[in-house]
Amino acid sequence: MKKCYFVFFLLILIKVAFAQQPAKTFSVNFHEVKIEQFVAELESKSSYHFYYNPAQFDSLKVTLEVANVPLQTILEQSFRNTSFHYAIVGQQVFLTKGRELQTTLAAGFFKGKAGDVSHETIPIVDYANDQDKKIPEATTENKLYEIGIKTNEIKPGTATLAGYVKDIKSGEAVIGASIKVVDSKIGIATDQFGYYSLTLPRGRQTLSIRGLGMRDTRRQILLYSNGKLNIEMQEQITSLKEVKISAEKVANVRSGELGVNRLDIKAIKQVPAVFGEADVLRVILTLPGVQSVGEATTGFNVRGGAADQNLILLNDATIYNPAHFFGFFSAFNPDIVKDVQLYKSSIPEKYGGRLSSVLDVTDREGNKKNFTGSAGIGLLTSRFNIEGPIVKDKTSFIFGGRTTYSDWLLKLLPEDYKHSQASFYDLNLDISHQINERNNIYITSYLSNDKFKLNSDTAYAYSNTNVNIKWKHNFSNRFYSVFTAGNDHYQYNTSSSDNPVNAYKLGFDINQTNFKADFTYYVNPKNTVDFGLSSILYKLNPGDFEPNGSKSLVVPDVVSAERALESALYLGDKYDITPDLLVSFGLRYSLYNYLGPQTVNYYAPNLPRESVNLIDSTTYKKNQVINTYHGPEIRASVRYNLGDNSSIKAGYNTLRQYIHLLSNTTAISPTDVWKLSDPNIKPQYGDQVSLGLYHNAKANTIELSVEVYYKRLKDYLDYKSGATLVLNHHVETDVINTQGKAYGAEFLLRKTAGKLNGWMSYTYSRTFLKQDDPNAGDLINKGNYYPANFDKPHSFNFTGNYRLSHRFSVSLNATYSTGRPITLPIAKYQYAGAERVYYSDRNQYRIPDYFRSDFSMNIEGNHKVHQRTHNSFTIGVYNLTGRQNAYSTYFTSEGGAINGYQLSIFARPIPFINYNIRF
Amino acid sequence: MKSKMLLLWLFILSLNLGCKKAYNPPAVTAPSSYLVVEGVINGNSDSTIIKLSRTVNLSQNTKSKTETNAKLSVEDVSGNIYALKEASSGRYTCAPLNLDSTKKYRLHIQTNNGKTYFSDYVQFTPTPAIDSIGYHITSNGLQIYANTHDPKNNTRYYRWDFVETWRFHSKYQSVSITNGTDIVPRRPDQMIYYCFGSDVSNNIILGSTEKLQQDVIYQNPITTIVSTSEKIEIKYSILLKQYALTKDAYLYWQNLKKNTEQLGSIFDAQPSTSSGNIHNAADPTEPVIGFISATNVKSKRIFISNDALPPSWQPAYPYNCGTDSVFVNYNGRNQVALFLIPIGSASIPIYPFYYPGSTARPDGYISSTISCTDCTIRGTTKQPVFWK
Repeated sequence: MKKCYFVFFLLILIKVAFAQQPAKTFSVNFHEVKIEQFVAELESKSSYHFYYNPAQFDSLKVTLEVANVPLQTILEQSFRNTSFHYAIVGQQVFLTKGRELQTTLAAGFFKGKAGDVSHETIPIVDYANDQDKKIPEATTENKLYEIGIKTNEIKPGTATLAGYVKDIKSGEAVIGASIKVVDSKIGIATDQFGYYSLTLPRGRQTLSIRGLGMRDTRRQILLYSNGKLNIEMQEQITSLKEVKISAEKVANVRSGELGVNRLDIKAIKQVPAVFGEADVLRVILTLPGVQSVGEATTGFNVRGGAADQNLILLNDATIYNPAHFFGFFSAFNPDIVKDVQLYKSSIPEKYGGRLSSVLDVTDREGNKKNFTGSAGIGLLTSRFNIEGPIVKDKTSFIFGGRTTYSDWLLKLLPEDYKHSQASFYDLNLDISHQINERNNIYITSYLSNDKFKLNSDTAYAYSNTNVNIKWKHNFSNRFYSVFTAGNDHYQYNTSSSDNPVNAYKLGFDINQTNFKADFTYYVNPKNTVDFGLSSILYKLNPGDFEPNGSKSLVVPDVVSAERALESALYLGDKYDITPDLLVSFGLRYSLYNYLGPQTVNYYAPNLPRESVNLIDSTTYKKNQVINTYHGPEIRASVRYNLGDNSSIKAGYNTLRQYIHLLSNTTAISPTDVWKLSDPNIKPQYGDQVSLGLYHNAKANTIELSVEVYYKRLKDYLDYKSGATLVLNHHVETDVINTQGKAYGAEFLLRKTAGKLNGWMSYTYSRTFLKQDDPNAGDLINKGNYYPANFDKPHSFNFTGNYRLSHRFSVSLNATYSTGRPITLPIAKYQYAGAERVYYSDRNQYRIPDYFRSDFSMNIEGNHKVHQRTHNSFTIGVYNLTGRQNAYSTYFTSEGGAINGYQLSIFARPIPFINYNIRF
Repeated sequence: MKSKMLLLWLFILSLNLGCKKAYNPPAVTAPSSYLVVEGVINGNSDSTIIKLSRTVNLSQNTKSKTETNAKLSVEDVSGNIYALKEASSGRYTCAPLNLDSTKKYRLHIQTNNGKTYFSDYVQFTPTPAIDSIGYHITSNGLQIYANTHDPKNNTRYYRWDFVETWRFHSKYQSVSITNGTDIVPRRPDQMIYYCFGSDVSNNIILGSTEKLQQDVIYQNPITTIVSTSEKIEIKYSILLKQYALTKDAYLYWQNLKKNTEQLGSIFDAQPSTSSGNIHNAADPTEPVIGFISATNVKSKRIFISNDALPPSWQPAYPYNCGTDSVFVNYNGRNQVALFLIPIGSASIPIYPFYYPGSTARPDGYISSTISCTDCTIRGTTKQPVFWK
């Protein structure tokens, strides 16, 4: 392929003479001759002298037999379809490789007659500089960078400029930086690799580059033709100013997406967290439309979806259990995480497999220039991270680890519980390597492990293991691809050894092997096409109950393993119909195969799916396709600009989910099992329409948005009363397909710059479920709609940071929401010899409203850039008002009366301190 | 999950972060009182007994309140009406009904407040006889089971309840008694050492042969008696009643069992209350608790004597017991007069003792508490008519 070069100017002045010479003819017969022989033969037959670099021609072998032809014809035929060129000037012949020597003066050199100027682009080459030229690292604002193949006359029209935006200090990619052509509406944001591709008018242009946490900068360019420009940006060292929630200040107004929130780690670290450790998931809970499952869990509900309907990705690896230590901490190490993106409505077509949302957590890339690291010490956890180059500017690594030393706390418990233990750790190791300008390799890995034990009886352990390799290949400036292969594993086990006879081990694991290929093609400035395919092979062991130890009399019980293949093809197109109207349409076609070996029960149609109605049971061989579900998923949105600072957007989305979490508690608990769709359990299906209004004020520092949505859920799994979910060989008899609807309005006000920054959100949302399957047996609430467990109509969040000085800032976080619905016993009676309770309809009552406020102070050490370490402290109080929020309620019979109790977690103000050191 | 929460809770408590406090949601103190209907339309030679009561608030100490002065009748599809009479508070009975096993029946209730309730018409489902009642001796007790079968394979769904009766004794055999002025020997009719205890089943016992080729119930667990129970220290008897159910009735009972045999907490599975087959004629949405079936109840009684049980099984007396010596003259104080003679004293004399050589008057009494000497606080000395 022809390379484009950015060259110095070399003028070659040669007397034009050969045209007047009478043409001499030759007869030659070459067979696989080398250049030396070829030249010697021709020179011997003529007075021509050849000039060439033998090293360049060592690959050339000429086979030619001609008679009585001019030299031009011989050279023409010999070099046809090769990269070799020739130029004849008088009696001198210049042989070149790769580029042709121009033997004439450039057109227009003598400023000929007006209108006589040829617009033909004749490249001017610097033949003296023969090395592969590096893509310029544009670091200076005032320098003019010349891009493309230089022509003395710039052709009108457009050309494509592409490259990476990097941090000058660490060499790390700057994601979501906006590159805008000054005085025009042309602009684009960098992708997850810091890559951009921009089509703009040729000629002299000024680019304005703005990045998250980066100093705004400009670059002067003179664009001749398609070319590359890597831009290095400087980090903004001013502390605590960078609460830029959106990378691009106008992104919320200008992008075509609805219901997307991005938070970078600096904003996350500013939010006060219990025990002082920055927590990615807990900050997500402050966003509109996201509800917490409960105080001590990291489970969350997005726009009325269940906790298992969120796809949680860490560098594209699926994390099945994102919680540590009973859910006090999220599984993501805040020192490694770069940013977090939550898609609530416009889920890009490349994602699929879950109904409600995609939470995309991205790790930082290691510093490519220097070794740096950080460490943090908190009350319960410590963390450490180190990063640096393996090969400077090419290969880097980042490693992070966290562990807990909470056992000292448990030792303070009364004797009965002293022997309890709880511990966790997590490790991240990511490597990024630049093979060359076109190819990058990224390897990311994650391991987390949790163990806890209640008074030396039942021990619980769970762990996530993820490994991913990603290859990014640029076909051209405008077309690139990312190939990802990886393996995700989640397992838990519980064991008991106290009673040797009853000692058991219970295990569950899920393993998924992924392959993905994603392609992005910038067709033209108005049109971007994404397409790709993905495939996931699931292997799931639903339960394995085994004796623990030789004395155990436990009968082994193994629920047979499940296998399935989930594949998808997608195509998406973003098209600017007019500068104000952007249409984005994506189609994802997903295909799910449930695979053998498996024994599947079939039930009589139109009868309740119960063991009584079992009519047949079929055994399938390995890899035999038992059944297939498939269907299209639509991801569409439209944006219309209502002036420079406002826009209106609408979107429609459909999604399919083939894997279900079986849990009859509301939170994700370590002992919940996942279930693959099978002939009896249909995949979940959801669709959503949403409409949003966006407005930016005060030079894009204040963002306002209002979004409304309406969502439908089909075949969401709910459970029959008293369902058994663990070690159930026929789960299908214990679950009921449930339909749902959710709707709401989300208001967000966000201030992104200034001394005071932060965001405030209010959400009104309702979620209802109903069971209307006539074959389900006794229906919950007689088949009428009932509020879902996570239906909390009103919720309000405030997260703010006020910077008093460069080294001192205060943060306040306040959360209010309506209490969660519960089903209560409302009366008691005597029946069948015992006192029994009468329950209300499901979820007809609510626990008391929730309110909490947290406060923290961030104190930074001095800000000299050049010092060995940088220190910072975070001191704060969680639950400032000490409100006793109900976590749960329960009822117990005491002295003949049934009494209700509410249980609160963190029922008083909890102070915390965290010390961080960066080196 | 529960233990996870327990550990979490302990952790919270250890940090003194959490708290537990009384919770009385407004709903719990203000529901209306729902009608509860319990009983079976009985087609055999026994009488039909229907009990009416009302639900009470959870916080109330009373277990339930009976519904009195209601008018009840059993009706069949062809218009025959059999009226019930209130035998005791909230308990309505009628003479044995001779029901036609091919017909459908319903219960008609008119409450004192003027509301009318009907059960759905239910098919009369004949109950097959109980084949046998047996027991297994397990490592920690006695497992009682029942066998039955329906040769026509029609019944399929079963429910049982039972009344158990046992003979037991108190810890100490008292041979002395106060007459208010003195301690005298007990007459045989005043003996309070041996008693008969009785209880009714308080769990819902269900069985189904829906998965079986034949309608055979084999060793369906009925109840478990722990090896240290007083129930089996002498002799135990169980009167088992068997009810055939329709499929709907079975599902109702099954749901009731799942939802009410443990109290609600949100860590349990979501509870739900299923509606029975009794409805307010004017307002079908009013919850009425209960499910009416029509069947001919079958019953069977067995006895289990302690002789048949492992000798190593020793009863655990439910109270901590010890004896005291009460003296007539204890440093000049007459303890007997003070603690044993007054009627209604907390201590009961067991037997007299004498100082060596003294035989005329007891010098004191060995005594113990009522709970250790008087079996009538937990039973009756009157032998039931069926006892043998």
